[in-house]
Amino acid sequence: MEGALKKIPKFAVLQLSGCAGCEVSLLNASEWYDKYELVYMPLVVSTHHIPDDIEVLLISGGVRNDEDAYKLQRAVKLVDRVIAVGTCAISGGVTNLGDRDDVREIFLSQAKRAHLPQLLSKTHPVDAYVDIDLYLPGCPPTPELFMGALLDPQGFKAASIVCAECGRRKLNDMKPDHITGFQKGDLDPDICLVNQGFLCVGTSTRGGCRAPCTRAGHPCVGCRGPSNAFIEKESGVWMESIQRVFERMTNIPSEELNEALRSPQLSMFLFQFSDYAGGNRRIRSKDKVL
Amino acid sequence: MTTLTFPLSRIEGHARVVMEEEGGNLLSAQFQAVELRGFRNFVVGTPAEQMPVIVPRICGVCSTAHHVASVKALEKVFDVTPPPMACEIREILLLGQLIQNQATSLFIFTMPDRVNVESLFDMDESEANRQAQFSIAQQALKVRKLGTDLITLAGGQFIHPVKAHIGGVTGGISRQAADAMLEQLRKMLPVACELFNAYWDMSVAMKERIGTWGDDEPAYYISSTMSLKPKLNSGHMRVLSPDGEEKEHFTPEEFEKRLEFTQTEYSYAGQTSYQGHILRANSLARINITSAFETPLADSYLERFRASFGSPAHAILCFDLCRGIELVYAMERAIELLADDLEHGETEVGYTPKDGIGYGLVEAPRGPLIHRYVVENGLIADAQFIIPTVHNMKAIERALMVAGKRYIHPGSINLELEKAVGRVVRAFDPCISCATQ
Repeated sequence: MEGALKKIPKFAVLQLSGCAGCEVSLLNASEWYDKYELVYMPLVVSTHHIPDDIEVLLISGGVRNDEDAYKLQRAVKLVDRVIAVGTCAISGGVTNLGDRDDVREIFLSQAKRAHLPQLLSKTHPVDAYVDIDLYLPGCPPTPELFMGALLDPQGFKAASIVCAECGRRKLNDMKPDHITGFQKGDLDPDICLVNQGFLCVGTSTRGGCRAPCTRAGHPCVGCRGPSNAFIEKESGVWMESIQRVFERMTNIPSEELNEALRSPQLSMFLFQFSDYAGGNRRIRSKDKVL
Repeated sequence: MTTLTFPLSRIEGHARVVMEEEGGNLLSAQFQAVELRGFRNFVVGTPAEQMPVIVPRICGVCSTAHHVASVKALEKVFDVTPPPMACEIREILLLGQLIQNQATSLFIFTMPDRVNVESLFDMDESEANRQAQFSIAQQALKVRKLGTDLITLAGGQFIHPVKAHIGGVTGGISRQAADAMLEQLRKMLPVACELFNAYWDMSVAMKERIGTWGDDEPAYYISSTMSLKPKLNSGHMRVLSPDGEEKEHFTPEEFEKRLEFTQTEYSYAGQTSYQGHILRANSLARINITSAFETPLADSYLERFRASFGSPAHAILCFDLCRGIELVYAMERAIELLADDLEHGETEVGYTPKDGIGYGLVEAPRGPLIHRYVVENGLIADAQFIIPTVHNMKAIERALMVAGKRYIHPGSINLELEKAVGRVVRAFDPCISCATQ
């Protein structure tokens, strides 16, 4: 077994607290099967330790408990190239909706278990603990994005924003008065969702996903995070930009829009801005984000 | 006293099994879910209409079931009835998930146990067999991917679907897209059958080991599918007694009166029982409740299964074989549904948000899933997720006791125990992300 066949590089996937959606997406991509050897990923491989001869480590999920933190710090010592995969690893993702005092109190008081991993007060992104070489945002990243990150991170070029891949027509004369979403019950398959009264943030969300949600008729909730125009700036700049888009394209009152922009479905992805939760994390360089 | 800890892999999420023994006597077997993210708490205060986008993130494997259960719960609150075609498209969405999940459990999680390797990607161990086994892995992954392709077709996004919404679905399925999927399904159906046949033979060959045949006592079964042509997008739960009699059926609104729910100190997941009895959900529960699928291949497998194991069947590894039968059924049923016109009918109706309480039920691959929401001022005031894996927790622990007792003796512990623990747990295909949220 040690012959020519085994010269292909090895990689491992460290699964922290998450939903396994990233792993399922990775399994959907088939191009890596003969280019990389997957040696550790508990979802599919029964090996309980990460071997020390791996070239790439993918990390999915956020740091929710003390065992996550321990495993993460231990794993990165073994490897040169570390890729943070998916929104939970990059910003804590959906569980950061619980990053508020009222939730924390109820949660931590209910969740005490003596002999289990102890929960931290919030879900931390992995770069709060270790250095990351490449960020692969998305909830989850598509198989194509995984292949870009694994096989050609320098050559892979994601579209600048989701609108560039969406294909819906933007109309100048169709201006909704309110964010009514699905309440009207008559979605047009070809027209921009902003024109149709949806809070769609595809205008400033990083592309590369091929816009599966907006094409299917659901507004972009920003899972790929800020585009290169915003990623090194603070979240307020993004808010202003979205405000301008909606002022131009709709008649929606600014208070209504402001409230909607702070809604949970968006904020679970807004945490990708380094300043969003009031923390003072390092800004992620756009050169490190695929 | 000695404590034995078994880390688990090839299941969804983070869990371990802990056994305590003294002098060769097994004292306890605990199935410990070791993760918790806190969905139930942090969705409080969320605008109710946004739940269908948030809750699929409970689990990337069962996301489709959460997506549809959430929409159905909110439709109850808002008092809106989706058009029939929308329900049909949601059924396809759930069939896609069933294909994806059963193929994953069969080929990625449990097939390596049949041939004693660590993963599907390792199945080329023997030089002589490499060609044949490499092809098993490749084909198995293709069958699995077909399930996600079906989710993409009916659900938009491939892991966390978006197409179901309150009042319907965002759009139909064009003839062209349906035909392309039909071609794939027809091409892969014989492949899936061939893989399943091989899997069946490998499973039967394991006769001497625990986690195989005739090794656990009968149990009660719970499912939301009916006996003919099981529907995943249904409205009732059914409980079957160990001798195969239907004990009762009830709506999701009544679950609190029918099922008991307890928390333990050693796990972040709870446990369900039925009138004090051990309950089982998942594939075997559905098959025990099904009299006929009304699709030819699945019915012929069902006949073969009944001839081999009787009805109701109780052996632990029957869960795995039942997943194969359901994989075949889901593909056949998707072929039937995609032949319908899903392009020209009504896909959605409008609605006005209201406050109230709503229950949404779907049959997830692991059993009946309920979302219960209390909506006040348009916001979620309380949310409960009634998770199929939780219904199986006591059954898993009882099966682990059987395995432990067989392999732990005074003065020695048979090393086969570790593998048996893996096989027993995987037969129930627990989902820890869901069970703990």
